[in-house]
Amino acid sequence: MRAVRKTMKGAIAIEKVSKRFPLAGNKEGVLALSELSLSIAPGEFVAILGPSGCGKSTLLRLVASLEQPTAGRVTVNGAAPNLVSGQHALGVAFQDHALLPWLTVHDNIALPFRIAGRRVDESAIARLIELVGLGAFGNARPRQLSGGMRQRASIARALVLEPEVLLLDEPFGALDAVTRRQMNVELQRIWSARQITTLLITHSVDEALFLADRVVVMSGRPGRILREVAVPFARPRDPSVMRSEKFHYLVDDLTQALEA
Amino acid sequence: MEAKRPLLLRLVEDYWGVLLLLIAWELWVIANRFNPIVMPTPTAVLNDLVSYPQVYLRNVGITLLVAVFGLVVGMLVGTGLAVAAWFSPIAAGLLNPLTVLFSSVPVVALIPVIARLLGYDTSTVLAIVVIITFFPSFVFASSGLRSPPPGAEDLFRVLGASRLAVLARLALPSAMPNLAIAFKLAAAHAILAAMVAEFLMGTTGLGYLFAKTKSDFQTEQAFGASLVATVISAAAFLAAGWVEKKVRERYA
Amino acid sequence: MKQTFLGALGIAIFLAAWEVIGRTRLLGISWPPLSDVLEMLGDPGRLPLFERALGATLQSTALGYLWGTAAGLVLAAVAHLAPPLRRGSDRLAAVLNSVPSIALGPIFLVVLTRESTPAAVSSIHVFFIVFVSVSSGLQRATPAHRDLFSVLGADRLRRFWRLELPAAVPSLVSGLRLAWPAALIGAIIGEWFGAPRGIGILIINAMQNFQIVLLWCAVLLAVGTSLFFYGLLTLLERAAYSKFG
Repeated sequence: MRAVRKTMKGAIAIEKVSKRFPLAGNKEGVLALSELSLSIAPGEFVAILGPSGCGKSTLLRLVASLEQPTAGRVTVNGAAPNLVSGQHALGVAFQDHALLPWLTVHDNIALPFRIAGRRVDESAIARLIELVGLGAFGNARPRQLSGGMRQRASIARALVLEPEVLLLDEPFGALDAVTRRQMNVELQRIWSARQITTLLITHSVDEALFLADRVVVMSGRPGRILREVAVPFARPRDPSVMRSEKFHYLVDDLTQALEA
Repeated sequence: MEAKRPLLLRLVEDYWGVLLLLIAWELWVIANRFNPIVMPTPTAVLNDLVSYPQVYLRNVGITLLVAVFGLVVGMLVGTGLAVAAWFSPIAAGLLNPLTVLFSSVPVVALIPVIARLLGYDTSTVLAIVVIITFFPSFVFASSGLRSPPPGAEDLFRVLGASRLAVLARLALPSAMPNLAIAFKLAAAHAILAAMVAEFLMGTTGLGYLFAKTKSDFQTEQAFGASLVATVISAAAFLAAGWVEKKVRERYA
Repeated sequence: MKQTFLGALGIAIFLAAWEVIGRTRLLGISWPPLSDVLEMLGDPGRLPLFERALGATLQSTALGYLWGTAAGLVLAAVAHLAPPLRRGSDRLAAVLNSVPSIALGPIFLVVLTRESTPAAVSSIHVFFIVFVSVSSGLQRATPAHRDLFSVLGADRLRRFWRLELPAAVPSLVSGLRLAWPAALIGAIIGEWFGAPRGIGILIINAMQNFQIVLLWCAVLLAVGTSLFFYGLLTLLERAAYSKFG
């Protein structure tokens, strides 16, 4: 039986957050998020579903300390996100895998250690490479890997410092449907080993339901929360759960909510 | 046994243009019955090269040394300033228009001015090579530092990287392909620029050899100097092209 | 806004430093104050001299552009239409580019006249850059476009004329812009081999007669001209990209 990582760290609090972007020629700019509040418990996996342009990526960028809210507050464990990132406690995987082309897979995964100025933990890297299923490819270059493999490397890199929070911004968006489904199953397996607080941005209803504990549906511009749905399926989740009637029902339900 | 034939064929395929030119030159001189002082044949030039190698070697060595040294210094200065501009937007704002301004100065026009400042000797030649190498390095390094792989900048920010870490681990490696291009351009020009400077100032090196032998009516030797410079410059360009390919494979 | 201010500030600092270095003779008499140079440039007595020199050099450069562009276009087109000739053309252009300009001077003196040598040297520089630019520009047409022409039954020549050549225009104009500094340098070097007048002659004479301020005037003339036409060519390039790009 795998030991579940007991942690009280990694609570995310988003309190009445608004984000306005300046726009050339428009004095008011564009309001990406409007008084949005969301709280994520430690160890919880939350998926944010929404149409394109609804502000979900902006939300993730606020938590990642890549943007500042125009109003309201975002905290991770009660601290400002840029403090948390300064402590190298955030893990992130983007749709652009952002692997450095001049480093091997191994060195790419080791990068967070080097940036944090910490000693490279070779055994941790080896474990992660095995965990994400890239066992034979440690010395390969990103250009030699397929899209799915690059994303696996990207996820391994996101996990290597054992972050308090894992942020995933459409990590499988650039993959084809078949690979994407495989990656969802893989991510579920990988996540179960660590159970870190995770925020996943996606526009795939299947993906959100399969992976998350809670699914949040966002509306279009300006971004607001429309609905929250607690996902009833027990963990660990088998791919067969995607064929259950309950799953289909929830997919239809959420798809309708999205199209509203 | 088999390998030999393709090589010869390949050489002809690659260099037919050059060979055509050389043959045309030879025939044209013969047809016009030019005095060798006015225009020698390619064969006469080659003959001179083979007969007096020490003259050529002595001067080639000097020009080559200055060109290489100037190339290295120029690239370091150019890259260094590009890094400074990367760190400080103020420096970037100040430097950019200035470098555009300076890059359109015809370098040959500066030779007399610099010669007056530094003296009519090798230091001016070195300065000219540095100047001609500096601008492409600065321009290409600047743009290279600002083209990291997509998403990598955000990644580094989220990972809490210091500015120095971003420079060393992201910006500089991203700039390598561009630096290789600058190197290719500079390598071709470095030795030619050195030669022009030497020609104007009459000190030592291939340029001086050219000027002296031309005025002494030793035209074969003058052309010999030019031939040597051409071969080295073309070879440097090709070698730098190979380096560029390797850098691209590693860094892009 | 801030960028333009900083840029102007950078140039202003440089000009101010120039004036100060000149006045204090920090670098000896070889670096005169900017005001002295500008004064001589504005001197009406010298104006005809500068005009003639500038005119001659610009004329040579323009001619060099004409010949060089024509030659570069032709060779690039030939190499493009006849792929076996590609590598040889590339090598030929690279070798021609590697010949020291000062060596071209005497060669062209024999082949041409003293007056046309500057244009000839300039044309070699222009030729290489135009050749490289047009060569890559001719390959700019996307596979999708090429397939379209194939399906529409266009023959090779028509495809070249209506697709690949127009697609290469932005690269050609870019090349023309990039070639400018080299073209000007080529003309100046060419003048050293006996041309009657020109900026290059002005520079050499001033250097040999130790006329410092005149030397700087000539350099400034060269720079000013260079900047002016470079700006013009940049505008042309933008227009070409917006129409053909």
